[in-house]
Amino acid sequence: MSHIDPDILALRALGETAGTAADAEHAASCARCRAELARLTEVVRLARDTDPRETLQAPPPQLWDRIAAAAGVSPALHNGSLNGAAPAGNSAAPSTLPIQKEQVAPEDSRESRPSRRRLAWPRGRLASAMAGLAAGVIIGIGGGVAVSQLSPAPSARVVARIELSPLPQFPQWQGTTGTAVMRSTASQQEIVITLRAPARPGFYEAWLLARDGVSMISLGDLSAAHTGTFTMPAGVDLRNYSRIDISLQPFDGSTQHSKASVVRGSLPAAALGAGATSRG
Amino acid sequence: MNRSSDEDVAAALSGGQPDALALVYERFGPLVYSIALRALGIRSDAEDVTQQVFVSAWRSRDRFDRGRGTLGGWLVTITRNKVADALRDRQRDSRVLLRVTGGASVTAPEAPADRVVDRIVLADELAQLPEAQRLVMVLSFYSDLTHEQIARVLGLPLGTVKSHIRRGLQRLRSRLEADGVAY
Repeated sequence: MSHIDPDILALRALGETAGTAADAEHAASCARCRAELARLTEVVRLARDTDPRETLQAPPPQLWDRIAAAAGVSPALHNGSLNGAAPAGNSAAPSTLPIQKEQVAPEDSRESRPSRRRLAWPRGRLASAMAGLAAGVIIGIGGGVAVSQLSPAPSARVVARIELSPLPQFPQWQGTTGTAVMRSTASQQEIVITLRAPARPGFYEAWLLARDGVSMISLGDLSAAHTGTFTMPAGVDLRNYSRIDISLQPFDGSTQHSKASVVRGSLPAAALGAGATSRG
Repeated sequence: MNRSSDEDVAAALSGGQPDALALVYERFGPLVYSIALRALGIRSDAEDVTQQVFVSAWRSRDRFDRGRGTLGGWLVTITRNKVADALRDRQRDSRVLLRVTGGASVTAPEAPADRVVDRIVLADELAQLPEAQRLVMVLSFYSDLTHEQIARVLGLPLGTVKSHIRRGLQRLRSRLEADGVAY
């Protein structure tokens, strides 16, 4: 009797219905496959269970100097990555993790901002969490825009995939990349953003930017994860608010856009068609 | 960074390479600091513990045996011990404070739960994955997309996505088995 294909086991651990009736039958009688599935399922559970405070956080840059002095070793590092950039691994590696559950902004993002800031942790902790987590993030839009009409999915239909990229006038963000995926569910439109950007003091925040280049709506912050899922605010005309902007925000308590645009891009026309006004 | 470079870092430490501590800190600084911060809640305390962990690891590097476990697991163990020490110090301080002030009882701090450590270890390994694979894993864990949708969204062949998922899960699992506490 052959064991269940490892690909199938992995998908089942993620909760997908995969495999054949024969696989299900086999699983019922094979202790080895059952144990394997249980171990993988536990990995998935740990990942999905993660508290935002448990994401990986970069130590402050000056800490290494203290450690080197106390240990009596040279403070020279290999790639200078501890001086504010990604702290772990090679210079291209993100230092933080996309370990966070979905961040969903309530319907009206303007209203939601103060409450979002009113998180359960003391400010210092929040700030440190965010500063650490921001280290590897990005979002950009504007580069290539790929629109794919996908077949209906169980719960959500993907409307568009948008590559995000930095603005030419801000060369300091060159190399920053990201992806935004728009999807529709029965009741709302959502956007899933993945960022890859260097660690900087502050945190990254996603905005919808209107055609006038002035009006904007906050979607939410991305600092606690490389990936954030945001609900498109209800009633917003996406034909007007047709661009996505990611800013780097300082910890200054202001809810305004910092004017430091990291990456930006436009929602593809196809995504604005039928559902031009975001449903609530 | 991948598994083999984790082993390179461990080899550098075992071999007494002069820049080994810098390598170890570059690779594992966020892991140690994150566990300490989650357990202690105060940045300065987490920084102190992080310092203690790396200084102690450096001084006792002769005791690190690559045949008996991973460098990550060894550092996690040292971190948990240093965190426990820090919490004991705090408790002692608060008892002193209590005697001085005659104030209300002070809640004893708790050591980080094993699952908390495991989740941070998992986060650390997820961050080590190559970008494409990491994105696939993140979407698998945190979006509602199926693997078929992920393949379409990312423009990747279905087989590639499946293999990213299988290998990604296996890699996370191996790391948890090596360095985790409760897993």
